[in-house]
Parts: sequence; structure tokens; C-alpha cells
Amino acid sequence: MTREQPTSAPMKHLPLAHMVLLLGLAILLALPLLSGGNDYILQVFTHALLLAILALAWNILAISGSISLGHAAFFGVGAYTSGLLSLESGVSPWATIPLAGFAAAVIALGVWLFCRRLRGAYFALATLAFVEIPRVLTDNWDSLTRGSLGLVGLPGLPGLRLGPLYFDIGASSIGSYYFVLVFGLLLLATVTLILRSNLGLALQAIREEETAAASLGIRVQGYRLLALLLSALFSGITGACYAHLVHYIEPGMVYGLHFSAIPVIFAICGGRFTIVGPALAALVLYPLDQFVFHPLLPAGHEFLYGAVIVLAILFLPSGFWGQLRKGQFVSIKTGSIE
Amino acid sequence: MWTTVLVSGITLGSFYTLVALGFALIFGVTHTFNLAHGELIVFAGYVAYWMWKTYGVSLLLTFPAAILATLVLCLILQRLFSRLREPMEMNSIVLSFGLAILLQNGMLFFFSGDYRLIRVPLLNQRIHLPGLSLSYGQFTLLTISLLVLALTYVLLHHTYLGKALRATIQDRESAALAGINVRGMGILAFAIGAVLIGLAGPLFGSIHYLYPTAGLQATLIAVTITIFAGVGQIRTLILGGWILGFAESCTVVLLGASWRELVSAIMLLTLLALRPHGILGREEQ
Amino acid sequence: MSLLRLEALSKRFGEHWALKEIDFDLEEGEIVGLVGPNGAGKTTLFNLITGRHKPSSGRVWFEGKDITFYRPHEIQRYGISRTFQSSRPFARMRVLENVVVGRIFSGKFHLFPHTEDTNMARQLLELVGLAHKEDALAGELTLSERRRLDLARALATEPKLLLLDEVVAGFSPLAVKQAAELVQRARERGVTLFIVDHFMSLSLTVSDRLLALDHGEKIAEGKPQEVMRNRKVIRAYLGTRHDDEAQSAER
Ligand SMILES: Nc1ncnc2c1ncn2[C@@H]1O[C@H](COP(=O)(O)OP(=O)(O)O)[C@@H](O)[C@H]1O
Ligand SMILES: [Mg+2]
Repeated sequence: MTREQPTSAPMKHLPLAHMVLLLGLAILLALPLLSGGNDYILQVFTHALLLAILALAWNILAISGSISLGHAAFFGVGAYTSGLLSLESGVSPWATIPLAGFAAAVIALGVWLFCRRLRGAYFALATLAFVEIPRVLTDNWDSLTRGSLGLVGLPGLPGLRLGPLYFDIGASSIGSYYFVLVFGLLLLATVTLILRSNLGLALQAIREEETAAASLGIRVQGYRLLALLLSALFSGITGACYAHLVHYIEPGMVYGLHFSAIPVIFAICGGRFTIVGPALAALVLYPLDQFVFHPLLPAGHEFLYGAVIVLAILFLPSGFWGQLRKGQFVSIKTGSIE
Repeated sequence: MWTTVLVSGITLGSFYTLVALGFALIFGVTHTFNLAHGELIVFAGYVAYWMWKTYGVSLLLTFPAAILATLVLCLILQRLFSRLREPMEMNSIVLSFGLAILLQNGMLFFFSGDYRLIRVPLLNQRIHLPGLSLSYGQFTLLTISLLVLALTYVLLHHTYLGKALRATIQDRESAALAGINVRGMGILAFAIGAVLIGLAGPLFGSIHYLYPTAGLQATLIAVTITIFAGVGQIRTLILGGWILGFAESCTVVLLGASWRELVSAIMLLTLLALRPHGILGREEQ
Repeated sequence: MSLLRLEALSKRFGEHWALKEIDFDLEEGEIVGLVGPNGAGKTTLFNLITGRHKPSSGRVWFEGKDITFYRPHEIQRYGISRTFQSSRPFARMRVLENVVVGRIFSGKFHLFPHTEDTNMARQLLELVGLAHKEDALAGELTLSERRRLDLARALATEPKLLLLDEVVAGFSPLAVKQAAELVQRARERGVTLFIVDHFMSLSLTVSDRLLALDHGEKIAEGKPQEVMRNRKVIRAYLGTRHDDEAQSAER
């Protein structure tokens, strides 16, 4: 993490890792060409990218040591905030998406109220329970949220004009795909920056040894809250993008276990002590699920996610990307994600 | 009206205690938070539903099959959990989160996503007693739950194995020093837990729709009551179950059935906020 | 004005008094040894000074300020750092990063590490003899290396007062000697030291004064040789068996 470092032994796996990353990026950039105009492939990867973004956002919190099982709360609130604002007031989604991020951060303050003093397993349980609050509220507050009917006919993402260039974004699969890809790369850059900054050092120190961190002058609770807020902010924005990309949301869907479980699965399988691991896992596993398991097993194809997380925790707790970069990160014993 | 609320609260609460008991026992002995607990209950419910639907077996006779099926499953799970390391609570949460997804999808595959209910018309008939009236369903639920709780109490307090289990719950190290096979106690806890789940499942399927993701609510209920009670005391578990059942009944009457699912979540969050170091209370020195 | 003043400091855990009415003054530039048998309350005293635990009664003054109820990170910012009896490295971070963390958060916050932070951290690793391990993960160090890392990390905060909890427990005589040199060098940097040392292997040679505790009470204070001859101290030590050590090692 500290600058001027590319020296010495543990870097010997890096070239391979770099090659994988560059190849992956090249494939992603060229995908609309590679897919030969197949909309379905593009849609699957657009969704995979959104999930990758969610996993990256989730990992900001996990870097500080807190495993959340309730990120659907932020995702859902983001989706609903942006969806409702754009439907009711006709404001452009470009304005409502950032607001959705803030709404999710406000919800995170609510989580903080309950979870401030919780660590580890108890933090995880509390977040799992917390999702029920926005879900049941959304479900029942019909006059505001239209209840369990959900929001239908959400506006898509309007095109953007930058000087002579025009990006159609919501209007075509390619536009949507590139938009989410750019968002993902921006978030990846942000997360990298956070992790390589002193903020990242503080978060990791808190994860490793909270007491020692405090004794070195780190404002433990302040940083834990900051990590939670950032994580919620980006998750909320992701939820909002999702809403405008699929045009339809309902409480059971956006607050469902799916969106809470997905980032946990991807981050742990990819390697939650790494920066890109969670995103890579999403880009591998979701298409695998959609292209291979879904056709084979229309009902129950998501067993894949259950299986990979069980296998990861039992045999590869540093995640596959963490494993590939062994030496960069500690060789964690199997049977433990801590 | 309030007697109705009270009756339904206590009935539901007793059943919730039964739902929580297996979870609490497994947690107490092995420190495993099994988030797939609710899925196991739903699974047992499906087994009963399947027997009832295809062979026309009566509800009571489905119990043995449900118990047997959960027993096999739980012993497999125990093998997996026993491979985890400290911190057991966190690791078991993540592992069981994955197991829950596996089970949900397995059930989706075998039983589809449709809502299923074990319909026993008799259970809807009402019994009228002086001052209160309850349905056969409530009566059955209450009787079976309390009976099972009583039997478990006797098992834990008046048999050698039960005493060994309780000793393990109190303090694993001392139990091991006293010659108790702590690993064996873990397997036993999963086995007894499986029996309790196998009993709760068919009952669940007769009062609540079965669908593959119905387990989360049951898990939350089990976690809430267990956190309320701490480990080891069946009496406190029952108290926790009754409070939750009563709170849910009141909520249903005052706000409507759709708010019910909020009750256990809020109760759990409040308990955790008040008791941040969790059940084991292992405050770091 | 003394650097650190403890005023009738008491701590109760449940029914058990871990510390009773401790009064003590520490002067700037001193090295003071805190001795006493296991369970005497030495670590608890450090926990009270650094804000990990709140005292049941009494006051802690630092440079004339009442810091009794400040939080650990605030107390650190005033210039008190510590090491822990069971060393607590940031296991999945590099050795160098461990020390950089100590450096960065004690002062004014800046978002990205400066080269001078890293350089200073390297110097400290040199000082404690871990320079060759800077890229290793802290979790892979041996016990004695971890202790030295703890020390470097605490020194990186540039404390005015440094509390060392059993830094040499389990060290060979040679390693104890090296540690004594380190302590002297820390003093030369202007650090005041308060050293818990159950076996008195380190504190006898480096301390200006000793404070002896037993069952949470102060039983002696003064020149090392005097305290060593004190009958209460001798009795306290003879009354305990040394294999208690293992039991409280995790504290
Ligand atoms: N967090 C705590 N909770 C309860 N008792 C404690 C705690 N910390 C220390 N004690 C008790 O206080 C006494 C003093 O402990 P400690 O300060 O660790 O002794 P020392 O460091 O001198 O060996 C011991 O009896 C110990 O059991
Ligand atoms: Mg001590």
C-alpha cells in the first residue's frame, strides 16, 4: 500500500495477475463487438457489471472488518428513491440517482444507530434483520411507495451530450452496457484510491486489531461510520441505476435476499482482501450462472452461488483472486474468512 | 378481543420457542449460528407436504419422515460446520448463508416456487371454552409445542446426556476436562436440533404457506429468541417466544398482518443494540 | 508539574477490586518500572491510563490536563502510546505498513502517505532490527519480532509517554539486553517510559524508579534496589508461583 514499493519478492505473481486484468478489461471493452450484436449477451454482462459494482461497494465496508448481510437495504432504498422521484416529479434520472445515493447513506445512519457497538457475527445478524425495516415500510406505505405493486414504467437513462459527442445510454443495449462499464471503472478507481490512501490504512488497521488501532490514534468509530456511509452511498447509486435500467421494481425484488447475498458471495469468492477480486467474481460467476446453469436448470440454478460460497469458505477463504496473488496477502488458513 | 390476541400470542409464541429451540441448542453447544435453520424447517415442511399430498398421510404421521430427512441433512451439515475455525460465529454465519441458498434452490427445483399449504380442515374448527375460543389448529400447535418443550427440558435436566450437554453449553473447556466428549456433544446437539426441526417443519407447513424462501422469517425468529434468552435456559426461551408471539399478535390486530414481519426484526435489533457483546458476552479484556 | 499524575485511581470488576486508590507521579524523562506478581493490576493500570477502561474512581492527569474520561485515540493524540502484553500486530498488513499506521494517525491527518512517513518508519524498523522484514506480513513474524514491531509502531507515534506492557516476557538474556538498549535510545529521543515487567529482568537495569503493586494496592515505590529489598515486595513475589505466568499471558 505504501508508495514507491514495486520491489522485492512477494511481487512475483504480479505479472500474471496484471495480464489477467488487462485481458479482462480488453474483453469488456470489446464485448459489444465480440457479442456480434447479441443483445442478450450484452444485457447479461450489463447486469454482471452492476453486481460487480455492488460487490465493490460492499467491500468498502468489509475492508473495515464489518460483514454486512443486508446491503439490499441500501440497494433497495436507492432504487426506490430514484424511481419515485423520477416518476412523480419527472426529474431526470441523472439528478435523482445521486439523491438515491444520499438516501441510502441516510439509511446507513439508521443502521449505525443499531449497529454502532456491534462487531463480527452480531453486526452481520443486525444487518440481516435491518433490511426488513425498509422492505416492510415500502411494502405498506402505499400512498408514498405504491406498496407491493411496485413501480412500473420507470424512465430509462436519458442520453448525454458531451460537446459533439452524443451517448444514447438508456436507448440501446450497447449504450447501457458502456454506461455501466464506465461507472464500474470509476468506482474501481475510487476504491483503489481509498484503499491506497491513509483512509484505507486506517480501515485495514481497524479490521485487523481495533484496540491497537485506537491506541495509535485512529478514531475507530469515525472510520467505521465513514466506511459504512461510503459503502451505502455507492450501493444506493447502484440500486438507482438498476431501477432505470430494468424500468420496473418491487419491494420483494430490490429488498430481497438476492441483493444482500450477491455481494457477500462475490466478495468472498473473489477475495475480500483484494481490490478487484469481488468485481472479477461477479463478472465470472453471473455469466456462468446465466449462460450455463440457467438453461440447464431453470428452477434452482442459483444453487451455484450457494455452492461457490460454501466451497470458498471451506477450501479457499482468501478467494480465488486472493489465492492468485498469494504472497501479496497473508496465507489464510482454510475454514475461516476472518 | 384481547383474550383472542393473548391466546394467539401464546400459541404462536410457544411454536416460535419450538422453532428457536433447535437453533439455540446447536448454538449453545457448538457456537454455530446456523442461518440455514429456517430453510431446514421449510424443508421438513415440504417433506411433510409431499407425504400428505401424494400418499394422503395424516399430518401427525408425517413427523417421522420429516424428522428422519432433517436428521440426515443436519448430520451432513454438522460435518461441514465442524471444519470451520474460530471465530466460529462469524464463519458459521457465512457458511450457513451459502447453505441456505443451496437449500432454497434445491427446494425450488424439487417443489417449485408455488405456495403450498398442508390443509387440514379440522384445524380450522373452533373449540369454545368458557371465556375463550380457539381453533383446533391453535390447540394442536400449543399442545405439541409445549409437549416437545417439556420433553426437551426433561432430557436436558434429568438424563446423563442432557447434563453433559448443558455442561458443554456452560463451559466447553471445563466440560472437556471433566471427561465429556465435546465433539460428540456437538454431533448430539445437531441430532437433537434436527429432531426439533423435523417436528417444527410439518407444523409450520400447516399454519403458514411453504415456499422456498419462507425460511428467512423463521431464522430471524429463532435468532431473536435465542439472543433474548442467552443460552441454556428453556424457561427464558419460552418467555422470549411468548413476548415475540404476543408482540406479533398485537401488531397484526393494531396495524395489520403485513406489518408482522417487522416485529422480530425490530426486537432483534433492539436486543443487539442493548447487548452488543452478544450471547456469550465474551467482552475482551 | 509532573508529566503523569495518578490520583486515588481505583478499578472494580464486579466485586473484585483490580486496583485500589493508586497515587503516583511520573516525571518527564524518567524510566519507571511497574512490577508485581500476576494479577497485581499492572495491565489494568495501563488500561486506565490509556482510556481502554474507565476507572471506578480517581483521576488521571497528563501534563496538567484531566484525561480520565478521554477516549483511547484522544489520549493517544495527547502523547501517550502503549504496547500490549499479548502483542497485537495488524496481521494481514505489511510490517512497514504497521509502522506507517503508527506514524500517520497520531499527527495531523493527510490523505496520502508522504515519503517521509515511510522513511521514518524504515528508520524505526532499523532501530528495532526489523529492517529486513519490512515487506513481510506482520502475522508471519515470530513472537519476539512482533514485540519489536509493537515497539516500533508505538515509537512511530512520537509519544511523550510510552507504556510498555511485558515487552521482554519470554526473551533470552541477550534479547533482554538488546531491549534495554532500545529503551535507553527511546529515552534519548525524549520519551518518558513506564514499563511493566513482571520478572524485573528489564526494569532493574534501566529504571530510575520502581512502583510495586500487589492485589491492586501500591506496596512500594522508590529506587529499584530499595524496592527490591522491601519486605512486602519480597513476600508478594514469594507468595506467587511463577507458573501463574502462563495463565495470564493472554491479558
Ligand atoms: N476486563 C476484565 N474483566 C474482569 N476482570 C479483569 C479484567 N481485566 C483484569 N481483570 C482482573 O483484574 C486483576 C488484575 O489484572 P491485570 O491488571 O491483568 O494484572 P497484571 O497485569 O498485573 O498481571 C486480575 O485479577 C484480573 O483477573
Ligand atoms: Mg498484565
